[in-house]
Amino acid sequence: MSEARKTILVVDDEEIIRDFLSEVLEDYAISLASDGDEAIEKIRTHNFDLVITDLRMPRVSGEEVVRFTRDTYPGSKVIVISGYSSLATVSQTVQSGACAFLAKPFSIKELLQSVEHALQDRTGN
Amino acid sequence: MNLRARFMSMSLRLKFILPIAAMLVVSMLAISSYLVRRQSESFRHELEVTGETMVRVLAIDAESGVLFGSKYDLEELLKAPLQFDVVTYATIKSIDGSVLAQIGDSAKASAGIEPTQDGCLGDSCHEFVYTTAADGNEYLVICSPIVTVKRAVSRENLGLTGGLGNTLNSGATTEIIGHIEMGLSLQHVNRSILEAKIASYFLTAIIVIGTILMLTFIVGVVVRPVTRLVKVTDRVSHGDLDVKVEINQTDEIGHLARTFNNMIESLRQSRVEIERYNKTLEEKIIERTQQLEEAQAQLIQSEKMGAIGQLAAGVAHELNNPLGGILGYAQFTLEKLQKNVPEKTSNKEIQSYIRYVSDIETQARRCKTIVQNLLRFSRSSRTVEFDDVDVNKTIEETLTFVGHQLHLNQIELETVLDANLPHIQGNAGQLQQVFTNLIINAMHASSSGSTIMVTSRFSPALGEFGGTVELSFIDHGTGIKEENLKRIFEPFFTTKEVGKGTGLGLSVSYGIIKEHGGEISVQSTVGKGTTFTIVLPIQKPDPESDKEQKQRFSFGVR
Repeated sequence: MSEARKTILVVDDEEIIRDFLSEVLEDYAISLASDGDEAIEKIRTHNFDLVITDLRMPRVSGEEVVRFTRDTYPGSKVIVISGYSSLATVSQTVQSGACAFLAKPFSIKELLQSVEHALQDRTGN
Repeated sequence: MNLRARFMSMSLRLKFILPIAAMLVVSMLAISSYLVRRQSESFRHELEVTGETMVRVLAIDAESGVLFGSKYDLEELLKAPLQFDVVTYATIKSIDGSVLAQIGDSAKASAGIEPTQDGCLGDSCHEFVYTTAADGNEYLVICSPIVTVKRAVSRENLGLTGGLGNTLNSGATTEIIGHIEMGLSLQHVNRSILEAKIASYFLTAIIVIGTILMLTFIVGVVVRPVTRLVKVTDRVSHGDLDVKVEINQTDEIGHLARTFNNMIESLRQSRVEIERYNKTLEEKIIERTQQLEEAQAQLIQSEKMGAIGQLAAGVAHELNNPLGGILGYAQFTLEKLQKNVPEKTSNKEIQSYIRYVSDIETQARRCKTIVQNLLRFSRSSRTVEFDDVDVNKTIEETLTFVGHQLHLNQIELETVLDANLPHIQGNAGQLQQVFTNLIINAMHASSSGSTIMVTSRFSPALGEFGGTVELSFIDHGTGIKEENLKRIFEPFFTTKEVGKGTGLGLSVSYGIIKEHGGEISVQSTVGKGTTFTIVLPIQKPDPESDKEQKQRFSFGVR
């Protein structure tokens, strides 16, 4: 069972979002990072199945996290969550290699669907 | 010089009349005094000739009387001339000066001559003396010698035959034996002269007066139209252009008057034209000033809206994070409560918790909508696709959405749509959002049974300004207070009850219309109703102004 558990890294500077995501995604092995630096450190040492990251964070931005993940582990999936949603932001995110964009505030249903979808793809790979 | 200046300053009439009258008076006086003088000389000469003739005749007739010393004969002789009124007296004196005979009043001519022995010798010695008597009358005294002829060869000859000339020619000697003196009154002559003078001066006066009168008349005829012309020019120079010179002559002055009338007419027309231009100019200035003020007010409003939008966008984004947590946890809790009912908790309690958390979720969703609207208001137009839009069709589609709601509120909706409305460049979805918002607002303001009217109208291109589509949303509802009118496009500004409106509808509408390069304005009277007017350009806004628009409405989306 533990072998089968998919690993997910949640990157967000807002504690409530990190806590909420870890609660909702309790079926998965969750790692948390409170900013881009910490996230990159963790990604460097561990190949996560999925990285869920915010865009606007102090020092290292979410875009860099996405880029680093894609560069390090091209097979890893990335979902971007942001309060700053616009067609332009979404388009940018997709271009950088993320597989989904969730505008805050999102519903649990939306989140679970996106996560499952992303991991399914990875399994497919 | 002074005289000349004075003359030059005289009126035209005087300039004509004065010199001519003066010349006439002088020449007439000269002529008449010359004539009077000639006549007076002629009268006197006549008297002298008459007097001399009488005296000569008397002198010849008196010869024998003197020689014989017959006083009686001599006095009889003198009676004849005294019959004439003109003869005042006649005296015959002997050579020694004694009066042989005298008739008439010699005292009147007391200044009468004393014939001198020497001076009056010879037959041609006749003296004429004019003298003025003590009574003031003038007299002519004529003195003539009485001569006798002495013949040396014939003593008996007394010289009564042959006459004086013959006597002299025959070589006889003449001798003065006495004198005859006659005083002639000049009264008659002088009266005649006076009469002649009076007649002459009277005639002169009549001629002068007549001539002046005629001259005045002629000059009047010539000068009167000129005077009239001068009066009219005076009035014209004071700005009165409604006058006309009433002269119907065909001469030069008539021509001048007609030309002047034409000139006044031209001036009047020019003035009317200038006044018209001035008026138009004033109206244009007022109109442009108003437009400028409106534009300025709108600019200030836009800037204000821009700043508010920027602020709102920042706030909205920041709100999304905590909102994410609230909404997420609410849903999560709800899910948990529905799946795993905790022990020791009654079903009733669970239902209450579910209701509480549901409320939290609902309110969080409401917050989410607010934030989304806020972001839409401030969002860049880059995200919106522009296309050909049939505005009439969009309005009709909107009505299918809101029709049911209107029906429920028992409000009629009337449309007056311009069938020739051209398509515009825009986003139908966004415009529909605006129309919906305006109709719903109108509905909220209206009482049941009233009518909302939606109109569309095409305004063709004018000069550098392209054609536009003008839309009006008219309700007869409660109206908007004046102090609120300026604020209704501000985000979060609402007059609706708490919970009924977000205060973002009109600000979002404002943003959308601005993105279309259009304008939205409002007129409202409390108690009478409100009219929202939207003007949209038919052509797609040009890139320059588009860029400006984006700068103003694109905030913090990165």
